[in-house]
Amino acid sequence: MSTGTATRFERSVQRTQEMRFGTRVWAAVVSDTGARVTSYIVGLLAWQILGALYERVPGPIEVVQFLADEFASGDVWPNFYATADRFLWGLAIAIVAGVLFGLVIGMWPLARALLKDTMMVGLAIPAIIWALLTALWFGFAWKAPVLTVALTATPFVAVNVAQGVEATPRDLVRMSKAFGVPLQRRVRGLVLPFVMDYVFTGVRFAIIVGWNGVLLSEWFASTKGVGWRTRYWYDANNFDGFVAWVVLFVVFIVVLDRLALVPIQKRVFRWRTTVARR
Amino acid sequence: MGNVAVQGLRVRAPGLAGRRWRQAGAVVIGWAAFFGVWAFASEVLFNPYRLPGPLTVADAMWTIVKSGDVVTTFKASLGKIFLGFGLAAVLGGPIGFLMGRSRYWKAFFHDPVVVAGSVPGITYAVLALVIFGIGLEGPILAVALVSMPFIALNVAAGLESVDSTLITMSHAYRRRRTEILRHVLIPTITPFVFAGVRLSFALAWKVEALTEVFGSSDGIGFMIRRSYQLFSVTDVLAWTGLFVIFMLLLERFVLVRLERYLFRWRPREAAA
Repeated sequence: MSTGTATRFERSVQRTQEMRFGTRVWAAVVSDTGARVTSYIVGLLAWQILGALYERVPGPIEVVQFLADEFASGDVWPNFYATADRFLWGLAIAIVAGVLFGLVIGMWPLARALLKDTMMVGLAIPAIIWALLTALWFGFAWKAPVLTVALTATPFVAVNVAQGVEATPRDLVRMSKAFGVPLQRRVRGLVLPFVMDYVFTGVRFAIIVGWNGVLLSEWFASTKGVGWRTRYWYDANNFDGFVAWVVLFVVFIVVLDRLALVPIQKRVFRWRTTVARR
Repeated sequence: MGNVAVQGLRVRAPGLAGRRWRQAGAVVIGWAAFFGVWAFASEVLFNPYRLPGPLTVADAMWTIVKSGDVVTTFKASLGKIFLGFGLAAVLGGPIGFLMGRSRYWKAFFHDPVVVAGSVPGITYAVLALVIFGIGLEGPILAVALVSMPFIALNVAAGLESVDSTLITMSHAYRRRRTEILRHVLIPTITPFVFAGVRLSFALAWKVEALTEVFGSSDGIGFMIRRSYQLFSVTDVLAWTGLFVIFMLLLERFVLVRLERYLFRWRPREAAA
């Protein structure tokens, strides 16, 4: 099989060398990379057209210019720093609480029956509710965005962890029970390694919904941060600035997800063969 | 499900009926604990003005239900959701079809679809507000944009899972293309589309409410915003309660029923 692919590869190289220039360009355009590049170009063009159609939507060039000014004036980093501080605290609370709840729900059927509905309700409550409620409760305090992130993200982590615990092989659990392995070692040696995958999925969800939550909370009740800055330009009727900040926080989360979370997940689980997954 | 039976040795496992009772009891105690913690927080940790207790909120919910506001509000929101889902199906179906059929379009649409799926909901809400101002179009477009990636990806996955031997056989028996589409492709894709709808339903609800908070003159989000602007924690909680109840009911009953109806041709064990 390997020789087969090698000869096919050599043949394709040969063919590429023989092809005329025009054909080679066409091959590059229809390749996967070509398709991706085309899709970005089409996206930018669509944005430009949208900007031309709607008076309030700025085009890409205005937005890039505005971003350059905003970076030059030094307004970007302090706001990102403020948001990151609240976001990370909320996320830490959500992960600790979510893993604890998830382990308890997954390991004891009684706890599952007790807490399952509460978790469903927690999943169903949108971030905007927590943002508004914490704004009403704490005003413009640091607590408001942190709690918004924590309350929005905790159920996502908990539900995923609980699913992971329930997916651990029953036979191994029963065997370790039969041999009298203490609870602490059972959790560390059997449940946790199996659950890690689900924890990662939960944390990824938590990061995405938590980022949404912190922005919403800052939009409604804050005097600094990414969400506040976005609203600041909206209230000032400066749509260049507004869209520039929207682009900034979208790019931030997409890059974080694609360049950090997905590769980490792959790296952590590179030891695993496909068979091990159920 | 059968956790209790698995939990221990056979001697300790209670009978089926006993297990059901224990589960039901635990669910009741779970709800009691939920309301208990809420009432405790209201009376002791905060004060009833900042966090109204469950009874106050239930009273407010009853007032809303009695006044008939609940019907007009949810009708407005539901209409926008259905239109949004329709738009998502019209846009996402063909995109998914292209993605499932050709390698070029798969590479072309991959990044936009993934990005659209992980963008925070606030983005759609505020962009809809800027583009359309206050009105119907914003929430509809937000729902469509949120659920489209799920529908497209699932249609693509469904097309990739079509049994190619069935298609070869259909060709051998000289079936027409429309017949293949009707009897082979569509039945294979439908479960995947449905999975996409179910996955995106909760997300779509939330984004719809969020968009209404930012720019709308009716619907559940608008009511929540109005309560917020009146500084009424009770009303925010009451509308949230109705929102959650409505969402869970729709998910449990309507979607599950619809699924059963659409897949009634399947053998029992495959459905379970």
